[in-house]
Amino acid sequence: MHSILLKQELLSESEMDKETVINVEHVSKKYCKSLKRSMLYGGIDISRNMLKFSSRSDRLRKDEFWALNDISFEVKKGEALGIIGPNGSGKTTLLKLLNGIFWPDKGKITIKGKVGALIELGAGFHPLLTGRENIYINAAILGMKKREIYKEFDSIVEFAGIGDFIDSPIKNYSSGMYVRLGFSIAIHSSPDILLVDEALSVGDAQFVQKCLWKFQQFQEKGGTIVFVSHNMDSIKKNCQETILLDQGEIIDRGKPKEVTDVYNALIFEKIASEMKKEQSPTGKELASRRVGKKNQRYGSFQAEIVDVTILNGEGKPRKTVNTNEATEIKIKALFYEELRDILVGFTIRNRIGVDVYMTNTGWKGVDIPRVSKNNNLEVSFAQKMCLVPGEYTITAAVSQITPNGIRRLDWVSDCLVFEVLASEKMSGICNLDSAVSVKQGKSEVDIDR
Amino acid sequence: MEEIITIYEPDNSLKKGYLAIFREIFIELKQNRWLTYQLFKRDFLSAYKQSFIGILWAMVLPLVSIGIFIVLNRSGVLNIGDIGAPYSIYALLGIAFWQFFSNGLVACSNSLVNAGPMILKINFSKKSLVIAAAAKAIVPFIIQIIIVSVLFVGYGMTPSIAGLLIPVFMIPLILFTIGLGFFASLVNGVIRDFGNIISILLTFMMFFTPVLYGKPRIGILATLTKYNPLYYLVSVPRNLVLKGVILEWEGFLIVCLISVILFLGCLYAFHLTEARVAERI
Repeated sequence: MHSILLKQELLSESEMDKETVINVEHVSKKYCKSLKRSMLYGGIDISRNMLKFSSRSDRLRKDEFWALNDISFEVKKGEALGIIGPNGSGKTTLLKLLNGIFWPDKGKITIKGKVGALIELGAGFHPLLTGRENIYINAAILGMKKREIYKEFDSIVEFAGIGDFIDSPIKNYSSGMYVRLGFSIAIHSSPDILLVDEALSVGDAQFVQKCLWKFQQFQEKGGTIVFVSHNMDSIKKNCQETILLDQGEIIDRGKPKEVTDVYNALIFEKIASEMKKEQSPTGKELASRRVGKKNQRYGSFQAEIVDVTILNGEGKPRKTVNTNEATEIKIKALFYEELRDILVGFTIRNRIGVDVYMTNTGWKGVDIPRVSKNNNLEVSFAQKMCLVPGEYTITAAVSQITPNGIRRLDWVSDCLVFEVLASEKMSGICNLDSAVSVKQGKSEVDIDR
Repeated sequence: MEEIITIYEPDNSLKKGYLAIFREIFIELKQNRWLTYQLFKRDFLSAYKQSFIGILWAMVLPLVSIGIFIVLNRSGVLNIGDIGAPYSIYALLGIAFWQFFSNGLVACSNSLVNAGPMILKINFSKKSLVIAAAAKAIVPFIIQIIIVSVLFVGYGMTPSIAGLLIPVFMIPLILFTIGLGFFASLVNGVIRDFGNIISILLTFMMFFTPVLYGKPRIGILATLTKYNPLYYLVSVPRNLVLKGVILEWEGFLIVCLISVILFLGCLYAFHLTEARVAERI
């Protein structure tokens, strides 16, 4: 007790309300492209370490490159951090560093508390052994003590929902049962910090819901989560902060909604540059574009969206509409040069950034073959707003269909905010406008008998 | 509540003293006893699961090799020398100790490589993996000791009471095996050639070590034997069972010392480099 008091006195006020549990300072990690050279370097590094020499890991040798370069961030207790980025950007490597599987070559990682990793569910299961045998072994590998395993065993089996299969070899399990068991063991190993790497991409919807619910519970109890995912919706839903990695560097960080927009832009630019065989703007440039502007915007800007409005049933521009009201969304674009095969579309997102609806002229079968230079193009979409009450945003885009794919002319994220109102209560995403009828009658089964 | 604070940094251990590192190692080993046992159980259970005669396979190889040597011995091709006990008992005991070493070393050297995917996904004590692999060698050893006991009954002989001290006199052999095993698993983790080299070396070594024949008195082999630590590790426990005496105290004590140093040295090296190996596997 005494020592705890002392410790608290030493902490400054800001640190006291929320404690940093993961602190990553200027961390870099290098890999070697050539396998043979990697063997040689490995031998050298190990020999040096054995003899208590420094492995001088901060220098690059031939064929080596930085897989992660100068990464710094911190995560506070009870927070969820999302890590996103294109393939090969270093997300998994970062997770492995946090887990201590790899050591950083430069910098320092400080972690407070027990770390549990969901890097691959069921890693370490032996196919020939039964579920029961595998639970004991896997739990021990994940760092559970004998006493804990005996205590949690029933709970693990119950959460995994594998029932009678507990005593048959794992190789007979369906892939769903396999990951459920893996997840169940990992979540029961009572970590303070959970590292999750695309672990949920395998299960069915019900299982994913169950997992998300577990994560929420875990966070409410003060647990910290680091999430790696390609699923932007789950990042937006679960994380308070997000880091965008590209080529081993952090290029953006902030609110999940904003960072995922930069990510989308980055992916778009990568695809576009592949089509054009041109140098695309780097992630850093994209991230800097966001700064100073309220909304994320990207494209070639040969045409520009100049106005987006939403009109209510009476044809008047409005920021609030009633649920199920007939509305019109008007997108106006100015063309700086003559362009062919134009697409105009929009996306409605809800408050947490989930895409609720998306459409465009192409999908609707409307062709816009040609727009002349200096012309305005105005496209109206009429629809009923079958949405539950809440705040929504509209993201508008003008693109061009080319033989190589879609070329973005202008894309403006969340350029318009509007609210949907309703007189009755409802929840979810869309308003299906249910009609209710109630019937009563005598049962044909005699209950008293 | 106690907070665990972990720091990952390059050359973490260079800042610590030898004593601090050894303390760290032994705390880790102690904390992971249950894990080590579970890993051993996993290997043990899975090795014989999809097989009809299961664990009896561990008896086949020693019986066949003894059979060959008995045939060679009877035909006078092989001069075994004075061994002072029925040859089959002598040979089987020798093989039991030798194979404890060779099985253990091979299992250790492959332990990190075989667990590669797991090592890359979960952070756990790799030392447990190596020790659990070495422990696998106990199973065939026990079976061979059972066969030896049957042979003793068959020949109407009684082994020396001092034979009960075998577990104590095997400690140097165990330390020697695990020590080399730590080293071999590291090197094999980075350079796969090493596993093959070990298998070949072990085959050669078995013929240069008086396992299946008596101690040579003359020639190069006699000199080799004198400086071969494995000779002492095999023959001292064997003589203890057969004759109840220890003939070469001096050599055995030196080898004991070597084993302890080897074990501690390799454990230390393993501890400093286990994470470096993970990224090369």
